[in-house]
Parts: sequence; structure tokens; C-alpha cells
Amino acid sequence: MADAAEAPMGQLDPTDTRSSPTSAPLLDVRGLSLGFKTAEGELSVIRDISFSVAAGERVGIVGESGCGKTVTGLSLLRLLPEQSSRLTGQILFEGRDLATLSARKMRAVRGREIAMIFQEPMSALDPVFTVGEQISETYRAHFPVDRKEARDRAIAALADVGIPAPERRYDEYPHQLSGGMRQRVMIAMALICEPKLLIADEPTTALDVTVQSQVIDLLRTLSERTGTALLFITHDLGVVAEACTRMITMYAGEVVEDAPVDDVLIKPRHPYTSGLLRSLPSLSARRSVLPSIPGRVPSPNAMPAGCRFQPRCSYAIETCDVRQIMIGLDASHRARCCRIREISLPGAVN
Amino acid sequence: MAADPKSAVRAQAEPGAPIMSVRDLRILFPTRDGRDTVKAVDGVDFDVRAGETLGIIGESGSGKTTLGRAMVSLIAPTEGEILHSGQNPAKMGREQFRKHRRDYQIVFQDPNAALNPRMTILDSVIEPAEIAKEGDDTSRRKDGFAALSRVGLPRELADRYPHQLSGGQKQRVNIARVLMLRPKVIVCDEVVAALDVSIRGDILNLFADLQREFGLTYVFITHDISVVSHISDRIAVTYLGKLMELGAAENVIERPLHPYTQALLSAEPIPLPSSMRTERRIVLEGEIPSPVAPPSGCRFRTRCPSVQAICAKDVPSWRELKPGHWAACHFSTLDGPPPANADLNHTK
Repeated sequence: MADAAEAPMGQLDPTDTRSSPTSAPLLDVRGLSLGFKTAEGELSVIRDISFSVAAGERVGIVGESGCGKTVTGLSLLRLLPEQSSRLTGQILFEGRDLATLSARKMRAVRGREIAMIFQEPMSALDPVFTVGEQISETYRAHFPVDRKEARDRAIAALADVGIPAPERRYDEYPHQLSGGMRQRVMIAMALICEPKLLIADEPTTALDVTVQSQVIDLLRTLSERTGTALLFITHDLGVVAEACTRMITMYAGEVVEDAPVDDVLIKPRHPYTSGLLRSLPSLSARRSVLPSIPGRVPSPNAMPAGCRFQPRCSYAIETCDVRQIMIGLDASHRARCCRIREISLPGAVN
Repeated sequence: MAADPKSAVRAQAEPGAPIMSVRDLRILFPTRDGRDTVKAVDGVDFDVRAGETLGIIGESGSGKTTLGRAMVSLIAPTEGEILHSGQNPAKMGREQFRKHRRDYQIVFQDPNAALNPRMTILDSVIEPAEIAKEGDDTSRRKDGFAALSRVGLPRELADRYPHQLSGGQKQRVNIARVLMLRPKVIVCDEVVAALDVSIRGDILNLFADLQREFGLTYVFITHDISVVSHISDRIAVTYLGKLMELGAAENVIERPLHPYTQALLSAEPIPLPSSMRTERRIVLEGEIPSPVAPPSGCRFRTRCPSVQAICAKDVPSWRELKPGHWAACHFSTLDGPPPANADLNHTK
């Protein structure tokens, strides 16, 4: 047992292909759109999204509620019901298009190649099974091992995510664990099969700030050590700044900016990203009037025809009346704004 | 509004005098099986000054919500007392208390849960005035429209129902409701936690405007350090039912005296580029212990990076280390918290 607890999670090798730089990205999303079928017709929820994640890269997706971050994450794993939603475009994962994969092949991808964790660990765990059983079940779903080996692996995975006394915790039920411990269990479960990509949807939002910093550190350390790429979906720009190297801003179902975190914090190129940054109280002088973004996110059935941010944008001009495209400022920084080169926007640093 | 001279008197309450005094407050609840006691608030002493914004910050389980509810007489103290401008509302007669409590109001976190889905917005707004038996239908409607307009809501919303409004609009309605009573003190319990960042700023700005206009006193309860440091004059830091630190906002944020405050501040994720991050993060081990069986001595000792043997034995006294700046730690000095123990400084 002691050996198992000390063994690294799986046979991880830093020279593994996943962490070596390759020309093709690990995940390459091209023109992804999602519509929900309703009685009044199809409702477009995300439109023509394109972005990529390199092997081992940590990318944050930010935006307010209703901008399409969560459904983007769910779409990548095809977790939305097919009767009521329509997905178009490509989800190229190591060159394979997940959007057209059969249901059986998709099941082999979920949990093994791409794993996902959610905001509320209590609702993601089954209350009637021990946490250990739930972790070994994941492993046994993908690898032909017996119960004993799966148990050893699960205990090693619990130790890896910093859970003290993992042999004892293995036999505990979710309700016996604190919120932070449950999220660690979810991370252990997600990483036990050594996926190449982990999608984390608001994984720290339900946690206290001191526990949040533990979980962010854990995700970053594990990602660096195992070479697992991270797609971090959050509304918290501070979390992205601490956990990620690149940030994608979504607004009203579209990607509006895609840039290295340090660049975008200093010099955002889309007025929405700039507005989000400036509205953070931590960046304004104490007791000063906080800048805000007037209006609200348009609902999917009342989208503006041109730039979707135009009605709330103080920089809008006539050319914003037409649909905007992503414009590259340089190789790494793109924004969906026709004024990308002419306006200078305030960021997190003055 | 109807009683202008009266509200003017209220607004001119003597600045600096305590509008609320919390005296050795304990609030205990039995656990569901009745065998144990949850020590939600366990010996807390502080004043709220008229016209100030006192921020109360703490993690979940620190007792901050229980404290806030007790401050507006929604929960009775188990021990100790809460004085409202020197008077104890728990000792008032029914009728006197009914008149008194309009001065001490609360706004809750979830703007949906606080509004009756079957009542129109205007009906919800004027309901407090009806309960307070103030004016007649006509004057209440007039005041209701005035309150809606004051919080920045258009007149057309008056006849709508809560589900037709956004979260930010609903929180404005809740603010309009308490304004109807022209209170002296508003306890704000996580009032912006459920709102998106772009709307959060508007609501915080509205609170600031109303404070200037009506001379309001706020007790702002939140887990969000950036919010509390933005709006507060003074900040109280709670942990497991006790105060760890209390002082002027800029002192608590920039020169904290308690190791818990220091760790809490360093855990806050800041949206700054990597080149501008200098401070080493203090990562606390574990999570807040259960308020059923809090640690002996200092409550924070099980997670404290500077813990010593004495911390398990003696409860640290609540010391005023600098004028107006209090902390409960055996080893804090006026220069700050004690240094972290080398072997326990866990930075995993």
C-alpha cells in the first residue's frame, strides 16, 4: 500500500509526446456553432467559435454569465443532448474531429483523453458510493485492470492531489468530505487516466478564497508536472491571471479576444475585455466611482446585427454596424473589433 | 417623501457616536440531532459608528451572516447584547420594537429569493410601508415610484413581476424596498455576490450615492476582499465566530496585523500580469474547522503559519495594538503579524 501511495500517478514521463512542442495544436476548434432547438425555432447560443489549445498549455475562457462559456466546454465533450441541440463546425483533437465521432468512440475520449470538472463537486459526485469506488470506476472504464490495482491507482491519485491519509479517505462518502476535499477528489478522478486535456468549469467558484488558492496551485502544479493541458472556464479574471498563460474572452456567444494573459491584462484590444478589467474593484482607488459597462448581455433571440457588443460600447462607430471578424494584431493577439489598431484601451495596469 | 423633517433628524445623528454596539455577543444553535452546539458567533465586541461603512469579511462558516442577522434583530443573541443607539431592542415592547426596527434594515444576497414572485415590483416596494402602517395607498404609491426612480429603475417596471427583471434590477428593487422605510442602518449581506462584475460596479456605486444622500450607515458583509476594501471605512475580519482583526480599511488591507488577515489577503487572486506579482503567496493548509468543535486557544492556530505552543492553551486577548486597530493574536505587534515558522510555511 505504501508503495502505491508513493508511486507517481500512472507511468508519467516528462518526455511524453504531450509535453513536447509539436506544430499542430492539441485541440483545434474551428467554426463551432451551437443552437438550441426551441418551439420558436433554433436559438443560436454560440456562433462560429475558433480557438486552439497547445499540448500542456493553460488557457482561460472568461466572460459574464450568459456569454456561452459553459456550453462551449460542454460542446467540446459533446455533453449536450443531441435531440435538443445542434452542433456544427469542427472540434479537432489531435487531428480527429470529435464533432463527427460515433457515440461509442466519443465515450472512449471522455475521461480518458479529455476530462472535465465542474463548479459544484457535491452534485458531480454520487452520494451512495465511496469516493474511492468512484475514482476506481473511472480507471476501470478505460483500462483492463482488476479491482485491487484500480484501488491502488485511486489511492495514489488521491495522494497526488494532496489528500491526507488517502487509504482512509478512499472508503469515505462524499458527504464526509469538505468542499475543498471534494474538489480535490474530482481532480483526482479527472486526472487518473492521464488525460491530455482537462476542462475545468468554474472549479473554484464555490470554494472559500483560501481553499481556492490551494486548488489553483494544485491544478497549475499538476498541469506543469504531467503536461496535461488546461481549459479553465471562469468569470474571475484574477483566477485566470494566476492559473493561465492565455486568455480567451467570450461575449454573447462569440470569442471576442484571444491573447497571452500578460499582454491582455496590460493592453486589452477589445472594449469588452477592457470594460471587464476596469470594473474590478481591486483595480480602482478606494471609495472611487467604479467604472461599469452600461446595459446587459443581449439575449440569444435579440442579438444585434453588427458587432454584438456595439450597444454597450462607448467606442462604437458606423463600421461597427456590420458583423465583426477576428483581426490579428500579431501572431498571438487577436480581437473581434474593427478599431483594434486605432483605439487605445485601458487595462489592469495604468 | 412623507416625513422629511424626521429623516433629516435621523441623518444628522452625531457623527462618530456608536449607532450600534455589539457587546460580548454569543449566538449558539443546537445541531440537527440536538447533541451538539454550533458556536456561530462566540464572543464578539465592536461598535458601528454613525455614517460609516463597516465591512465584515470572512470565509463561509465564520459566522458573518449570523452576526449580520442578529444586528437587525432577526436572530436573538444567546448571550451578550446588541444596542441600537444605546437601546436594547430585545427589551422593547412589541409596539415600540415594531416602530424601532424600521431604522435597522437588511438586504440579502439572493435578489430572487427576497422578492415574492406573485407580487408586482411596485407592490413589493410599498409592502414595508404598509407593514409600518405609513401613509395611505396614494401616498405609498407615490413614495414607491420615488424609491424606484431613486435606485435607477424606470417607471415601466413597476407593474412587472420579478421574473421579468435581471439580477441587477432585482437587487435595485430590494434596495428600493428598504429605502421606503428611510432606515438609519442597512446591513448588506453579500449583496453583490450573485451579480456579474459589470453590474456589480453599478450597484456598489448606487450604495455609495445613497449613503451620501441619506447619511446611511452600512454594515457590509462579504467574502470578497476587493469589494470590502473598496467600499469600507473600517474592516472587521471574522474567523470561526470570532473577530481576528478590526481597523481602518487602509490599515487592515495594506498593513494587516493578524496572520489570518495576511493569509486571506494574499490568497485573493489579483488580475495583474506575472511581471507585477511580487509577493509570495501564503497558502494556508486545510479548511476552516467546524464551529461545533472549534480548536482550543486561538481558533486560527490549526492553520496558522506562525503557530506556537501557547496558541493551543490560551485564547489570545483582543488587543488595541495601534489607535483604533485591534487584533487577536498572541504575537502580533504594531509592526505586523509574527513571521511564519520556517518548517510550517507550507507552500505546496
